[in-house]
Amino acid sequence: MLWKDIYELGVPAIDAQHKELFSRVEAFLQVLRSKESWEEKLPKINETLEFMKGYVVEHFHDEEEYQKKINYPKYEAHKQVHIGMVDYVLEVSKQFEESDNNENLMQQFGGKLLSWLINHVAAEDQQIADYAKKEGVSGNGR
Amino acid sequence: MVDKLYKAFVDATYNVFNLMFNISDISDHPIDEFACDNELDISVGIVGELQGEVIYRFPVVTSLNMVNIMSGMEFEDVDIFVTSAISEIANIISGNVITALSDNVFRYDILPPVLGKPSDAKEYEIEENCCICTSLGEICLDVRLNRA
Repeated sequence: MLWKDIYELGVPAIDAQHKELFSRVEAFLQVLRSKESWEEKLPKINETLEFMKGYVVEHFHDEEEYQKKINYPKYEAHKQVHIGMVDYVLEVSKQFEESDNNENLMQQFGGKLLSWLINHVAAEDQQIADYAKKEGVSGNGR
Repeated sequence: MVDKLYKAFVDATYNVFNLMFNISDISDHPIDEFACDNELDISVGIVGELQGEVIYRFPVVTSLNMVNIMSGMEFEDVDIFVTSAISEIANIISGNVITALSDNVFRYDILPPVLGKPSDAKEYEIEENCCICTSLGEICLDVRLNRA
């Protein structure tokens, strides 16, 4: 399973979104790595890519709002990391369409997404939770 | 400063394994004791007032263990997916070093990770290396830098 309890931040609203995000990415990886032919996988791949484009933006926005609410000092830097990932997802999506659904491109995307997501939640987002706990504002979810 | 930079790469590797894989039992030893002929070499270029590269040498066994733990799936071969996941980890470690040392006198940045070991022909003023041992396997770091 992709989600592990150690990734929990202790902020219920963000934890719920992270679990949803991990669940969708896990479903995406299972399809990506399944033994089916690429043509059979494509509808699910495209569906997940569309979801990612929307949900990642929505989740990042909500997380940024939470950071503003608790006056997180690294808000700007964290926002830039989010912007970088959104740009990457959009660029890959564009390249995927232009390449007529190239499988190698999507396998490369899947690998990077896996490491990026785990690091972002386990390391970078954890800093938000640590700050919130230190400041006594960890219950200030939306 | 150079010692500090090398130590920062070792520390960042420790931290990434600790946070991403929940592994705290990590140690390092000299690279001479590293024996591996089947590995994934990822090179991350450094540009700016320091120039060179950091080569991350991930044995295939270590690479597969890492991706298996992260994904909860069973990967048996190093393919494009595994290479991309491991390259991103090299990128994360290098990025963390840049962030940790952002207040230093030297200004430098990192380039996207590239698969393959660079040539040994070029000489570097600074060459440091070590092997980091974890329960997922070993990883070797090879830091090669010149002052610009």
